[in-house]
Amino acid sequence: MALPTYATPIQRTYYYAYLFFCAVVFFFLVAPLIAIVPISFSVSPFMVFTEGMLAWPPDPEAWSLRWYRNMIGDCSAEVVSSTVPCSTKWMKGTVNSFYIGIIATFIATVLGTMAALGLSRPHMPYKALIMSILISPMIVPLIITAAGMFFFYARINLVYTFTGVILAHVALATPFVVITVTATLVGFDMNMVKAAQSLGAKPMRTFFKVIMPLILPGIISGALFAFITSFDEVVIVMFMASIDQLTIPKQMWAGIRQEISPVILCMATCLVILSIVLLTTVELLRRRAERLRGIKAR
Amino acid sequence: MSKFLKAFLFASVIFAPFAASAVTVASWGGAYTESQQKAYADTYSDPSSIVFENYNGGLGEVRAQVESGSVTWDLVDVLPGDAITGCDEGLFEDISDEIAANAAPGPDGESMAEDMENNGLEYHSGWDCCVPQIFWTYVVFYDPDAFPGEKPDSMADFFDVEKFPGKRGIHTWATGIIEKAMVADGVEPNAVPTVLEKQTGALDRAFEKLDTIKDHVVFWSSGSKPLELVKSGEVVMAIAYNGRVGAANLAEGENFEYIWEGQVLDQEYLCLTTGAPNREAALDFMWHASTPEAQAEQAKYITYGPMRASGIPIIVNNEPWGPGGVDIMPHMPNTPERLAVSIVSDPQWWSDNGAEINERYAAWMGN
Amino acid sequence: MLLRSVDDSQINTVFPNTFEEYKKWDKEKDELPPEEVYRALFEELAYGDKIQVGRALTRMNYSKSGWKSLIKKTSRAIKKAVKKDELPDNYKDFLIEANEKWADPTYWYAMGQMVNNQTSIYYWNAIDRTFDQELNVVQQEEDRRVYVQTWLKTLKVSIYVTVFCLILGFPVAHLLANLPLRYSNLLMIFVLLPFWTSLLVRTTAWIVMLQQKGVINGVLVWLGILSDDGRIAMVYNETGTLIAMTQILLPFMILPLYSVMRVIPKSHMRAAQNLGAKPAMAFWRVYLPQTIPGMSAGGLLVFVLAIGYFITPELVGGKDGKLIGSWIAYHLKTTLNWGLTAALGAILLGFMLIFYWLYNKIVGIDNIKLG
Repeated sequence: MALPTYATPIQRTYYYAYLFFCAVVFFFLVAPLIAIVPISFSVSPFMVFTEGMLAWPPDPEAWSLRWYRNMIGDCSAEVVSSTVPCSTKWMKGTVNSFYIGIIATFIATVLGTMAALGLSRPHMPYKALIMSILISPMIVPLIITAAGMFFFYARINLVYTFTGVILAHVALATPFVVITVTATLVGFDMNMVKAAQSLGAKPMRTFFKVIMPLILPGIISGALFAFITSFDEVVIVMFMASIDQLTIPKQMWAGIRQEISPVILCMATCLVILSIVLLTTVELLRRRAERLRGIKAR
Repeated sequence: MSKFLKAFLFASVIFAPFAASAVTVASWGGAYTESQQKAYADTYSDPSSIVFENYNGGLGEVRAQVESGSVTWDLVDVLPGDAITGCDEGLFEDISDEIAANAAPGPDGESMAEDMENNGLEYHSGWDCCVPQIFWTYVVFYDPDAFPGEKPDSMADFFDVEKFPGKRGIHTWATGIIEKAMVADGVEPNAVPTVLEKQTGALDRAFEKLDTIKDHVVFWSSGSKPLELVKSGEVVMAIAYNGRVGAANLAEGENFEYIWEGQVLDQEYLCLTTGAPNREAALDFMWHASTPEAQAEQAKYITYGPMRASGIPIIVNNEPWGPGGVDIMPHMPNTPERLAVSIVSDPQWWSDNGAEINERYAAWMGN
Repeated sequence: MLLRSVDDSQINTVFPNTFEEYKKWDKEKDELPPEEVYRALFEELAYGDKIQVGRALTRMNYSKSGWKSLIKKTSRAIKKAVKKDELPDNYKDFLIEANEKWADPTYWYAMGQMVNNQTSIYYWNAIDRTFDQELNVVQQEEDRRVYVQTWLKTLKVSIYVTVFCLILGFPVAHLLANLPLRYSNLLMIFVLLPFWTSLLVRTTAWIVMLQQKGVINGVLVWLGILSDDGRIAMVYNETGTLIAMTQILLPFMILPLYSVMRVIPKSHMRAAQNLGAKPAMAFWRVYLPQTIPGMSAGGLLVFVLAIGYFITPELVGGKDGKLIGSWIAYHLKTTLNWGLTAALGAILLGFMLIFYWLYNKIVGIDNIKLG
């Protein structure tokens, strides 16, 4: 959306101010993440920029891979700190977090999209009631939900199982999908469904060929919310998961009363790099696919 | 899809009952649990039968487990107030007979309870369900470089912002700080619990004293924060857990000074959950973890003091006891000289009044 | 769980007779309850189940601090007497001798709020009210009034955060939605990255950024904008809470806005301008109304999440960091006052429903994208 050539100077000023503002916001979003990367390489367990780190020329004593080695479970003598325990738990937590997160996201996205489709029908009865029930897990403070869920899941023997944790995360994540998908559906023209159906498409086909492509941005952002809800969720995990279901947040919060472990910064750095790689790959693949199909990018 | 889901649900339900076989000990995590692992589990006859699980304190989870009948934590490491409440409510099992029969006696044949009383502790109902672990304290510390001239050495100095200008780091809940304020107000440290319990208006006195530093305070809520605050110069003195300061001094080459006067000792207990799935094995581990030897052993890894009096001589006679051949006693809270100027926090009083005082403290912070 | 906010039945199974007799006490006439009350209490403590009494104790202590040790000490004296088979002639004198607090009517007044199976006391406690001896609702003692203040603070922080997110998020979402996909997808990484990093990490990162010897102060001093002594306190206060929470919740605003803006045809704006509307006018009358679904969804997400937040405020907020979520966690985990926990939660829920309803009225049913 470049500026048209006939834009007035005032419009130009506005436009550049607007771009500048957006740049500032982007910076605001990522600045703290940039700040933690160097600190994750610090030798000190304190999360501050030490004098050695700021010195010029760089002081090699101040930098190390100590916390990274701790994270991957390398507990040799020079890594061990008396304040930060060393264990293989981080790796176990990573595996579990992805496992729980991916399954929960999948279920929540399917359920949430279906619920949103149903709720956006004009003649759905008790719409407000159903909606309030659906979004209540979001509103009731998590810790109360967690305690309530514990009693419920204990009755059906699901506490301290992967199934229990996943189902609990689904319950938490579904409202996010419902909200984002309903929002997208508002701009959606229901005549298209009628058109598809009058042309003979079965409901399933209508959904996959007509509705889904149009509301895909909503579904994707809903799924992202769902994944992140599960991936970063700690309260429920504290209540309902045993050590077998250890996740990254659970490990991060261990011992928080005494110490915020510097290893969390390493974990964060790794996840940031991983997601940059993933998102860039997806984008490159998309461009390639577009080129192959001969469609020009918008 | 639904087939997959069913199979999945089914499989996890089937596998669920096999989960618990080792004794699960819920503890605070971090360096503290690490020291328990080394001092208690690794020295136990079967180290692999002990698994540590993390929690962040309080009895919420324990009550949920016991009330719903799905207990997975065999043992829980708790503060004394929670030991009392848990024991009264039946969340922890009353094992006073087993403790009397099986807990290791001291070197002179004194019972465990007598051994603890020798350390200045008084019986409370938590003793019926739990075995003692360690003393830890809320201690004030500072970086000597921040005070080129005279150095602070008392609670009065901590509360005197004219003599020692600069901000103070204190925590966001009331335990410990109330007692310190009383000391700064001139109460003999050892007498503080009695004064708080018996004297009307004692609390008002404490809050009035707190008012004097209100504008010079940075509040913290996680244990490593006070160290970062002092190290970065944001505050000149702070209250911290002494073990965290000890670790910084011993392992990270810091040079922080303690103000032992007016330190507030708090206790840790290991309690047996009612309906623990591995009751017998858990009891056996409790006897091991409460021996004077095991408690002294823990001091090798974290500077928290044994709650059994007979644990101290083991350390003193075997110095250097600390990591890398350093003496550990200079960093320990419960030497006789230090105990003489300390407050042993009264768990019964706190469990009676804690909720109300914390509300008042929060109101004080917020205004 | 929410049912617990009115339930008081456990203690009524422990002291049924005491409470029955208590209700007959005429507070106008007698300063202390009649002998029958003391007798019933004596018997129920002497022969009651220890664990049930223990649970009742936790409950009693909420009404007045000190019940716990009072009952425990009395129980011990009673058990001793029963063991020796020395039942007292006068129960009142026996109890008062065991502990002089039994002659203190304030304890007896405090008992009044427990004698029914259902109670509203937790709700009143949650807004700094309590019962006096006649069970009239009165203000809590002045130095214990924390909840109203916390409710207001929580509300204020949530509203600020929502507004900030909207101000910051709207232009960004607009930019992302209108750029060609190849650029917007790359810029999207900036929005998604913070998402991938744990709450705890981002909170910690903000402390690193904002503290007195932190990055921002450091840069400002280096640039000569601030003097070394003039470093700004940006963290451990409300500013820190607002900055950190806004950044953490911003993606929750941008993404719904983006997905709505993406489907708004660009032709609408052009059409409006062709029909003679100035750009600002076209934006205001044509574009903005179409983004309302996105603003509602994002605003609701951010507001709802913000109001229940307590981890970030507690770590970066210092003295201003105790929001209502902290209290809920505190009562659930530490004081075990689950009645108050549930009441606070229920108020929060009720509050959100009212907010939702109002919103429905103001924005209009067609623009509510939630139901």
